[in-house]
Order: sequence, then C-alpha cells, then structure tokens
Amino acid sequence: MAAVEGQVIGVHSVDAWKEHVEKGKESKKLIVVDFTASWCGPCRFIAPILAEIAKTLPHVTFLKVDVDELKTVAEEWGVEAMPTFLFLKDGKLVDKVVGAQKEQLQLTISKHATADA
Amino acid sequence: MAVSGFEGFEKRLELHFFGDDPIIFQLGLRKIVFESIQQVLEAVQCTVVSAVGNSYFDAYVLSESSLFVYPTKIIIKTCGTTQLLKSILPLIHYANQIGLTLCSCRYTRGSFIFPKAQPFPHTSFNDEVTFLEDTIPSNLCHRKASIMPSKSSSHSWHVFTAHSSITHQNHSHNHSDSDIFTMEICMTELDPILARKFFRRPGDGKTGDSAGKEMTELTGINEINPNAFICDFAFDPCGYSMNGMDNDWYSTIHVTPEDGFSYASFECVGSVNDNIVHVLRKVVQIFRPGTMSISTSSSDYSNEMLKKMVNAVEPLGLKCRSRAVDRFPASETVVFQTFTARRRSV
Repeated sequence: MAAVEGQVIGVHSVDAWKEHVEKGKESKKLIVVDFTASWCGPCRFIAPILAEIAKTLPHVTFLKVDVDELKTVAEEWGVEAMPTFLFLKDGKLVDKVVGAQKEQLQLTISKHATADA
Repeated sequence: MAVSGFEGFEKRLELHFFGDDPIIFQLGLRKIVFESIQQVLEAVQCTVVSAVGNSYFDAYVLSESSLFVYPTKIIIKTCGTTQLLKSILPLIHYANQIGLTLCSCRYTRGSFIFPKAQPFPHTSFNDEVTFLEDTIPSNLCHRKASIMPSKSSSHSWHVFTAHSSITHQNHSHNHSDSDIFTMEICMTELDPILARKFFRRPGDGKTGDSAGKEMTELTGINEINPNAFICDFAFDPCGYSMNGMDNDWYSTIHVTPEDGFSYASFECVGSVNDNIVHVLRKVVQIFRPGTMSISTSSSDYSNEMLKKMVNAVEPLGLKCRSRAVDRFPASETVVFQTFTARRRSV
C-alpha cells in the first residue's frame, strides 16, 4: 500500500481502509474520501475533476471507495447518495459534500487543506 | 412584448426504452458514459452544473433545468431557447449501443412567454410535431398530438405522445401503474417579495451549490417533501434549480424570478395515495403565483383526485378557471387545469 502523492488512491479492502485512517491520524494529514459507485453517472462526471485537484495537493490524501465493494465502510459513514465526499482529520469527520458539486468540492478542499498546511 | 426576457417555460421530454436482456434493466441507461451525456446536452445547448445519484436513478441539475436517468427511462427538461428535441436521436443511438430500444416518447410544454425567440424546431407546435414525427422510429406507431386549451389563449398545454404496440413492463418502479401520476405545475406572476428570495446577494462569497442550499431552506422548499435528498443550485445573479430524490421518486423545481417575466415550475411523480394536498399547498405558499397551471398525466384519473387538488389550492387565494381532459395512446389521460389569483392587485 504505497501512498502515491498527488493521486486518488483506490481502497479495496476494509483493512486497507483502516490502515489509511490510522496513517492519517499519525501524519495529521487531511483525508478526502470519494464514495463512488460504478453505476452512478454523476460519479463519472466528478472523478476527473477530483483527480486534477489531487495532483495539485500532494499534502492531502485522496481516497476512493466503491460503495458496493466496501459496503460496511459506506454504511458505517452513512453514505446514501453518490458521490459523497468525506473530509477526515485525526480520524474524525470534519466536513462533507454530497453530490457532484464541482465548485463546492473545490472550495471545501481548499478550506481544509490550507487550515492544514 | 418589446424586449425578450428569459424564457422560463420548459420543454419536457420523457423517453422509455426496453431490451431483451433483463440484466440490462438493472443499470441500463445509467451505463451511458458521461462524455455521451455531455454530447447530448451539447446538441440541446446546455451543461451540467450539479449532479447526484442514488441506487435508483441519477439526477442532473443543468444550466437550463434538469435531466433524470433511470435504467430504462430518461426525463429531460430544458428552458430558455434550448433545442430539446435535438436530444432524441443521440439518446436513441447511445441506448441502442447498450442494447435498449425506444418504446415510448412523450413531449410536453406550456405556452412560451416569448414564442418568437424560440429556434427551430421550437418555432411552433406544428414544427415540433413535424420534427418529432420525422425523428422517432416507426415502431412507435400509436401517436397523438394535442393542444389542450384553457380560457386564456395565452395558456395552453401542448402534448405529443408516441408508443410502440407492445406493452413493456416498466422496471423502474414497483408501484402499481394506475396509482402513479406525473404532475407538472407552471407558475407565472410570482409574488415579487417571495421572488426576491431567489436572487443572490452580490459578493456573498458563496458557491452556486451553497447559495442554492440556503435558498432551499429559506424558502421552505425543503419542507415540500422532508424525506427527499435535495440537489440544489443558485445561479448568478438570480435563478434557482433543484432536484429532489426520495427513493425512486424524483421532484424538480426551477425558478426565473425576474420581475415582468417571473416563472417557477414544480414537477414530481407521485402516487394518488401520497399527501398531494400538502405538496400543492406548500408549492403555492412558496411562490404565490398570479397564474398557475397543473397538468397531470396518469393511466387512471379520478374526479376525486381533481377535487382534492382544487380544494388544496383554492383556500390559498387561487380560483380554478378551466379544466381540459384528453386521452392519449397507451391509456394515458392528461388533465390540464388553470388557476388565477382572486386578488388581482398590482
């Protein structure tokens, strides 16, 4: 599980998810999680936009979770509509954007990313 | 009508598809890649501003109204001078690519405020019908076009439907079809004070998404169906759009608040057993229109339901002025009712 900077990392197991959250706690880095689904058109609309943002912010960890693949994680965080973006700091939820809202996503990321830097 | 303002009245297209492989029904049209959707919207001349999906369907807020994509059904509604009917051919094409064939087509709209500003094929209902007749495939052989009148010549309801002869089971919902209706409400001459709420404050520093959310709460739009997830957007300097998602039920609101040509629309799919009285009363209270039309489409309309609707809005100062009923292929009945405010002040 090499954390590649500047990329959106696909999380494919509950263990990998836990590991990322733990790592975030240690490093105090902001984690942005994109809860997505293969059947969701709006998720495909926002994915390239998120990938572009990730490139410019190497000090933020970007994760991608497929809600069908990691059902328990999606349920645990109450994800119902797709895409849902969760913002985690110290393992705690600090913000949330529901829907493919380009402007709002950019604004929320920069708000928490600058508070972090 | 010296100066043309923004055309609030939408054109609305609903397309149903079927396929031989039942597996396709699970995702169906939702599998169409976003680039293809973008190309369809380009032909219509609008773009996506916000979007969200749940396990039943995808809902897009557009620069001009809304798009809903279900596994076997597409609803696209656009206002302004968009060329909605140009979406039909590309949609049929992309659906064919994933093994789906068109089996019904439904086009509706009210009367434009600025009809002369409309581009072809929306130049007249005749042109629209000719375009539709020439565009849709020949297997949709049961066709009907109708202009449903009201007491005022400036308010009519335009309907075109076409169905193939085979009836296909609708996989998009589990409810009995006879209970389901689609309701399209068009409102003009909005109360100016209420319409002000759909203007952004200059330099509010908000995104269209967060300003939209604020309008949803400030106006009480979130109280129409408290169970719905709302995807909302506020335009700059004014105007508002939202899509509501409640399981497989959609609802949508679009507002053009400018004085002189103010317009708002509300549309939802509902069941006769739902709390339609609450929904109608809320909608009227949010906009207090001078003129309102309610068009319902269902396979089985009852006088009781119409009475319920009239009884819901008349205590709020609107009076029912006309009612037209027409039957369409595939046992569809459309009822078009118009209302005007009793107070004819200002």
